[in-house]
Amino acid sequence: MTSYSKEVLGDLAAGKLPWPQTRRIMSAYKDDDRFFKMVAVYQDRVAWKDPILLPVSDHLFICQSGDERITRCECGHSFGDYRKNWKLKAAIIVRNTEEALREIYPNSDIPDPQWMEIREFICPECGTMHEVEAAAPGYPIVHDFEPDLEGFYREWLGKPL
Amino acid sequence: MLDKPASALRLRERLIESERLMEETGCYDGITELHLRNQDPLKFETLHTKLRAYCVSAREMARRISASPGVREVGEMVVAIYTPEGDAIALSNGIMVHVHTMSRFIKWMIKNNYEENPQIREGDIFANNDAFIGTVQVPDVMDVVPIFHEGTLVGWAGAVCHELEAGGITPGGDVCLAQERFTEGLFVCAEKIGENDEIRRDYVIRCERNLRMPIYWVLDEKAKVASCIDMRESVKQLISEIGLDYWMKVSKEFIEEGRRAQLARTRQLTVPGIYRGHTFYGHVTAGKPGFQLLGDPDWLYNIPIEMEITTDGKITMDFEGTQPWGYHSMNCTPAGMDGGMFVTLTQHMNFEGLVNDGAWMATELKLPHGTWTNPDNEMVATATSWALLLPAYGVFQRLLSRGFVARGFVEEAFVGQVNSPMIEMGGESQYGTPFGMAHFECAAAGSGALAIADGLDTAYVGWNPESDMGNIEVWEQSMPMVYIGRSIVPNSGGAGKYRGGCSFVSTWLINKTSHLRLHTSEHSSRVFDNGGMCGGYPAPTCQKHRAVRNSNIHELAAKGEPLAHAPGIDPHVSDYEKNIGGDHVLVEGPYITLPHKSGDIFSHSYNGGGGYGDALERDPIKSAWDVENGYLTREAATQVFGIVLKDDADGYPLADIDATVERRAAMRKQRLAKAIPVSDWIDAERSRVEKADFAPEVKKMYASAIKLSSRFTKDFSEFWTVDAKSIFMPGAKP
Repeated sequence: MTSYSKEVLGDLAAGKLPWPQTRRIMSAYKDDDRFFKMVAVYQDRVAWKDPILLPVSDHLFICQSGDERITRCECGHSFGDYRKNWKLKAAIIVRNTEEALREIYPNSDIPDPQWMEIREFICPECGTMHEVEAAAPGYPIVHDFEPDLEGFYREWLGKPL
Repeated sequence: MLDKPASALRLRERLIESERLMEETGCYDGITELHLRNQDPLKFETLHTKLRAYCVSAREMARRISASPGVREVGEMVVAIYTPEGDAIALSNGIMVHVHTMSRFIKWMIKNNYEENPQIREGDIFANNDAFIGTVQVPDVMDVVPIFHEGTLVGWAGAVCHELEAGGITPGGDVCLAQERFTEGLFVCAEKIGENDEIRRDYVIRCERNLRMPIYWVLDEKAKVASCIDMRESVKQLISEIGLDYWMKVSKEFIEEGRRAQLARTRQLTVPGIYRGHTFYGHVTAGKPGFQLLGDPDWLYNIPIEMEITTDGKITMDFEGTQPWGYHSMNCTPAGMDGGMFVTLTQHMNFEGLVNDGAWMATELKLPHGTWTNPDNEMVATATSWALLLPAYGVFQRLLSRGFVARGFVEEAFVGQVNSPMIEMGGESQYGTPFGMAHFECAAAGSGALAIADGLDTAYVGWNPESDMGNIEVWEQSMPMVYIGRSIVPNSGGAGKYRGGCSFVSTWLINKTSHLRLHTSEHSSRVFDNGGMCGGYPAPTCQKHRAVRNSNIHELAAKGEPLAHAPGIDPHVSDYEKNIGGDHVLVEGPYITLPHKSGDIFSHSYNGGGGYGDALERDPIKSAWDVENGYLTREAATQVFGIVLKDDADGYPLADIDATVERRAAMRKQRLAKAIPVSDWIDAERSRVEKADFAPEVKKMYASAIKLSSRFTKDFSEFWTVDAKSIFMPGAKP
């Protein structure tokens, strides 16, 4: 069975693995022990102790915090119950003018702000940009991901939460 | 009529029986055990590898017969081998989107009783390019031939080429001006076009008299038929070695194995749950010559997707909430939607094991009736379906990638595909003859970023994993334009920790013609039709066209004056305007205008992909390299990525790491100072929503989505705590 060390997976996640090695991992049969090893890599990366249950973005994790399961930023900021849309507890910058769009696209043709805006969802504590939505004005904020956490652990990982 | 059917059942009954067995057992053709695989796994795998080799080899041979640079140079072709019921067993590389659309075509003929009339006999050749029967768009012309073994129908061999000219209202293959079926070009609707391995002369005459450039289509037909015959003979030889009974069983086990492998791969690589995303497409045609006012000239489409992965590994994609079909060329049939799903799965999940129709069987598409994904009117045009398909399946790629990231397989996460607008042309060639062509260098856009690396520069399109832009010299042989520039578009990859792949822009001098019609398709206006992921930005995908009529380029060249080879990096004044005299033109959206002539200049840019992760985490050294090599401007490096650059002794950019760290810390502080809580933003924005204070096209989009979807209405109303119906459809019944 294919398997990689935690160090190799840590470098892979950090984009530090040399490309030929990365390429071999991409082409090889997948390693069935990946999930828990990768969770261990992320657990080492964060300063907090709550056990990570699922990574959901580059710096966002669902973790067990006491009796609750919450979405937490790598910096430690809590976005609350993991079943709720974390974006609703984030800070936001909306780019809906030519001037604001031009800051991100200084040398390109830009969208018409009457038709499209950019919404930047930011951690209110550390300022990390967790997600960017490009949407028509008035479009409801998307709830990107509602994992079936119980089903995942019970039926796919064989390890109840 | 079949001489000796494979079973007592006729094909049509056999197909219905196969579907019933799938329904009853959940397994393809009722195959609940993979007996042959279990008996001799090595023989099983070896046979499938042989079939795949037949396909790859037949396609490569056929490409040498074609005259079309689209097929020869860019590889716009795919071939596959099917069961008698029309399910793909094995396929080649190339435009794999069509493996499943061809399956629909074969099934359509069977269901429409082709056994009786026009009959299915050894040596027959059937062709189709009708998307409601089974293809994506008119230029995707497919040929299939039945495979008989000692008088028994044992399968089909099929091939598709994308034609560069389809004889529509505007020249080229992707007929951008088609607003209903009758302007899309030459239709071949599940037609028997040949017998005894020979294409009928009357069919060739029809092609010759209805196409602007029949040499492409006709020689592609010959290439396809040759590849089909090649595969057919290989399969017949194989059957004589392994026996008919084994073939009939193993070919179906291959498909059931493919179905199981797809389910297993989903369980291995993703996380069950509900995934959501959306993208948009803007179309601007008001005042442009040729467009009939059959509907709104300018419109905005939303493309929301909800994907569910269940714990048994099934993936369901639901397009509820999207827009109705329209009088434009961008509608898509369920066959095209299937094809998009299939080609995406082959790239992301079927990278090992047996690749065939089994993967498609492990998924489900929910395509709301009456929308552009499933029109309730078969007269609609689908000539440029890719305009909406590519953004839609880019969303699918991001949704899947969310699952890969969650599962820890970061190396598989991919921000996805983008639209790659195409140029269509026709008129008088450089040889003084009539011509028509689609320029297929668009088959090499930038890709979305990966979660661990930048996207591919000028090397990816969703419909053909074997991306290629073709050589300049080859394209120049086929059109009355010569290149004066082909270069990377700076900043065309979306910003992020890993940037999206960059695209390129071409600039041409129109040459040796007095009449060149130039049109473009699949070109979104006013909105991004792609997205970033995990904090990355979308790529700028609403580029305008720049052209110069009556240019003074020959005078400049004679004097040795500098020319312009690309639009440059000032969005307000192009390098063409700075360096070249003449009548400068700026066109938003599809380029449809008066014919060009020698001495004019035309430029066209393609799209890059979206970024991944927070741009302030971008490796400054990589960005310095990007600036040095023209992938990024200094301006963007500083203001988007927060990178402070200095010059080395030779004037090359170097990242000042300490100053960058300091600048980024300041930028994060600025972000926090500028940002407001989302709840505050929602409260403030609600009053705008209540007043429907939006552009007319945005309001129309909401009204259409609300009319077609109760779920969209409910979600919209609940999010803003408003009554969406009364806002956007005043007067409608509650």
